[in-house]
Amino acid sequence: MSAQIPISTFKPYRGEKARLARAYDYLILVLALFLFIGSFHLHFALTVGDWDFWVDWKDRQWWPLVTPLIGITFPAAVQAVLWDKFRLPLGATLCVAALLIGTWVTRVFAYHYWNYFPINMVLPATMIPGALVLDTLLMLTNSLTITSIFGGAAFALLFYPTNWPIFGMFHQPVEVANSQLTIADLFGFQYIRTGMPEYLRIIERGTLRTYGQYATPLSAFCSALLCSLMYPLWWHIGKWFADTRYLSKI
Amino acid sequence: MKTHLLALIALTVLSGLPLSSAQAHGEKALEPFIRMRTIQWYDVQWSTQTFKVNDEVSVSGKFHVAEDWPISVPKPEASFLNISTPGPVLIRTERYLNGKPWTNSVALQPGGDYDFKVVMKGRLPGRYHIHPFFNLKDAGQVMGPGVWLEIGGNPSDFSNTIKTINGEMIDMESFGFANGVFWHLFWGALAAAWLLWWVRRPLFISRYRMLDAGLEDELITPQDKWIAKVVLVSVPVLVLVLNTVTANRYPDVIPLQAGLDQILPLPAQVNAGTVNVDTLKAEYNIAQRAMVLQVKVDNRSQGAVRIGEFASSNVHFLNADVADAGYNPGKDDVSNNGLSLDNASPIEPGEQRTVTIEVRDAAWESERLDGLIRDADSRLGGLLFLYDDVLGKRYISSISAAVIPKFI
Repeated sequence: MSAQIPISTFKPYRGEKARLARAYDYLILVLALFLFIGSFHLHFALTVGDWDFWVDWKDRQWWPLVTPLIGITFPAAVQAVLWDKFRLPLGATLCVAALLIGTWVTRVFAYHYWNYFPINMVLPATMIPGALVLDTLLMLTNSLTITSIFGGAAFALLFYPTNWPIFGMFHQPVEVANSQLTIADLFGFQYIRTGMPEYLRIIERGTLRTYGQYATPLSAFCSALLCSLMYPLWWHIGKWFADTRYLSKI
Repeated sequence: MKTHLLALIALTVLSGLPLSSAQAHGEKALEPFIRMRTIQWYDVQWSTQTFKVNDEVSVSGKFHVAEDWPISVPKPEASFLNISTPGPVLIRTERYLNGKPWTNSVALQPGGDYDFKVVMKGRLPGRYHIHPFFNLKDAGQVMGPGVWLEIGGNPSDFSNTIKTINGEMIDMESFGFANGVFWHLFWGALAAAWLLWWVRRPLFISRYRMLDAGLEDELITPQDKWIAKVVLVSVPVLVLVLNTVTANRYPDVIPLQAGLDQILPLPAQVNAGTVNVDTLKAEYNIAQRAMVLQVKVDNRSQGAVRIGEFASSNVHFLNADVADAGYNPGKDDVSNNGLSLDNASPIEPGEQRTVTIEVRDAAWESERLDGLIRDADSRLGGLLFLYDDVLGKRYISSISAAVIPKFI
């Protein structure tokens, strides 16, 4: 850590120093954007994977459980750095926005132009509302505990309703082959994926059988609990990676 | 400079080399004992191999699920009849198993016989190598015979309109796309506004110094806090309102569907009991690339039969002496006249005969079936076709036996 500067002697940068500091801001911002586009997108693709790739994987049980749980990781870690060292409450929004940029680039170029899938079959989900809540809650409370419990929970609970306006319409029923499918299921049947047999989809597998047909709220609350635990874990990972030892020498 | 020059020369040389498109889907990569003793395809035919965008094409055929299913391969309790394509250049519109339409995965029964049909529609023009194949859960992909399909026409002509249960006609190519983009832009604009609110002011070094100096309160202004409070309250409220509006707009939605179809096998087509074949011994001569099978044939049919073909893993070894022997070739199926018998005379009705069949061809090696002898489960499997020339009948036996290699 650098030496504490007494308030009475603190002098803000002016002139050339201020200009250089601002140039440094932009440099870091651009680098951070590309870093998070690449790293968070890769992390997300390897962990959430098919749940986010395909419209016929976005089920009511596992999708709202898995996606926020993985989605909260980078935002927590980056918040730990940006809030703790700079009091910048934008870590979560920055990460999720970077993820979406990377995801859209992939969906358009890799899935549509390269592999011919219609883009509506591979629309990504969004977590921006949850990220905004995480950032504002951290800023207003300046508390890891409160942000973990309430911010983590909100991040998970907001996920499914945030995305229902995008994906709800794909759940309209269609009669195909003497059975009912959703439009999303029909995408999976019609648009051939050689490496994606139907049985690989993890749809309604598990033991949520004794609560009627309310799988989504149960999954969302389960995800909320897990996100509340995942958030501080990744916050500490972020802090562990954050290193400002060279800053004092600038 | 020298390195750059070398790189340029290398690039020029490489660019001059002829490039050919991939012509296979790794169908030879799967271990031979799995290819030979799981899904045994036969009579696979394509309705056409040249068609246009929007035209239908179908592949139909039969398969036998081997009785001698390898112990190391999970039983086919979840299997999916798929089509190997380089992306959705075709769409699958209908699929039938034993005449029944089906969309999900299916549980197959070892020893069972099935016929299938998959109807597709051309989507993107081009020349593609296509196979029907089975995804077997936890086992891999067992390929059926492949063909080259030539799709002509204009990709922009493709249409795929379906009708929902509520009677709405929708275009699958564009359905929900504009709506999805709108919501991503909507939330993206809010995120951008929040980010710009902060990055418009000095960031890292300045804020770090101020925080270090204890000027934390100056970094977050009352206006920042007011905006944050508005965001914290309004965003969740907006999410819930939009969710409710959508739920009211689409009241008749259902969850994603998932299930396993149960379709019973056909009455026995293979090993039907009329002509029984029992494999006594199998030896593979590596140098001659010849499999020598000793089988005991029990002809309980009304007519004399002759062994005309041994087929395994889409390779057809034919007996040139039997006129009826043959198949409807997929264009890159492998066939040859490599099958010969020690006694070519027909096996009469009621006769039991031990026959030595030599199946000799380079296809054992080129199709990587000879790798069997290096498998942990080195058992051979395949379909033996016997023909009654007089009555015009065909009898099929699924045979299997441990293979003894002959190295010299």
